[in-house]
Amino acid sequence: MDKLAQQLRNDAEKIEVTVSDQLDHRIAASLQNVTPENESYAAPRSHRPALFWWASSLTGIAAAVAVIVIVNTRQPVEPAAPTPSSIAAAVPVIDWKAETAMLAGPLQQELDALQSDIRRAEREVRDDIGL
Amino acid sequence: MSDAQAGSVDAFTELVQSYRHRLLRFLLSRCASYADAEDALQDTMISAFRYIRSYDSRWRFSTWLYRIAIRNAAKLRTPEVIEIGDLRDEESDPLLQCIADSETENLWVHARRLLTDEVFAAMWLRYAEDMSVKDISKTLDRSASWTKVNLLRGRRALDAELNSVTNESEAYG
Repeated sequence: MDKLAQQLRNDAEKIEVTVSDQLDHRIAASLQNVTPENESYAAPRSHRPALFWWASSLTGIAAAVAVIVIVNTRQPVEPAAPTPSSIAAAVPVIDWKAETAMLAGPLQQELDALQSDIRRAEREVRDDIGL
Repeated sequence: MSDAQAGSVDAFTELVQSYRHRLLRFLLSRCASYADAEDALQDTMISAFRYIRSYDSRWRFSTWLYRIAIRNAAKLRTPEVIEIGDLRDEESDPLLQCIADSETENLWVHARRLLTDEVFAAMWLRYAEDMSVKDISKTLDRSASWTKVNLLRGRRALDAELNSVTNESEAYG
């Protein structure tokens, strides 16, 4: 035993505690009213009945079988080959000109406003210098 | 043991006679007051007698008793007192009070301050009660690896503390 372990042991023994007579009597009196039981001290774990495990296992197996049967009995559906006319009908026609005008409209307005500002500023400068 | 299992109070009392002081000393480290530790000891004795037929002789009797004691001490902890460590000042800690009464230097004072409740309990069971790692694991409901690691940590913490105390005293001459 090493030094630390020895010191810990010695120091533990130095701690003085007394079981008082009063406590002794209390314990003795309590024990008189107790009879040993056959059950374990540890709280019994809640055991599910064996039937529960069988039922859940059978349910699982039944579900797996059902899935396998459904997957295997279903006929695969061949996808229809698309014809050129059906593709044309499916694709929406886009009005490119309208789209362009719609997108460029705000920019054009901004440009006009800027040009107008420049012209106004030019006029003011001309007036200021007396041209 | 067989007489106690048959229901003899006297046989049981004789069986646990040598454990009462040790258990009370241990319970002082797990309870908020001396009175609580005494109550826990009483509850432990009652539980041990009531369930003595379920005692498995493959384990040491002390391991079984300490396991019951720990559970009973835990039951007495009020919700406000989550960690006994919160009470670790000399005035309110029952174990430290007992150590202070003996008026000698004691390494367990440092252990009480440095270690958590669980590590302290593991250290106590190992070094004060001479329990094996396997028994401590069983008593504290922890794995053997947890017990080994925390015993090592506890030792290191105490070693470091002892070294620093020694260095300080040397520095002061």
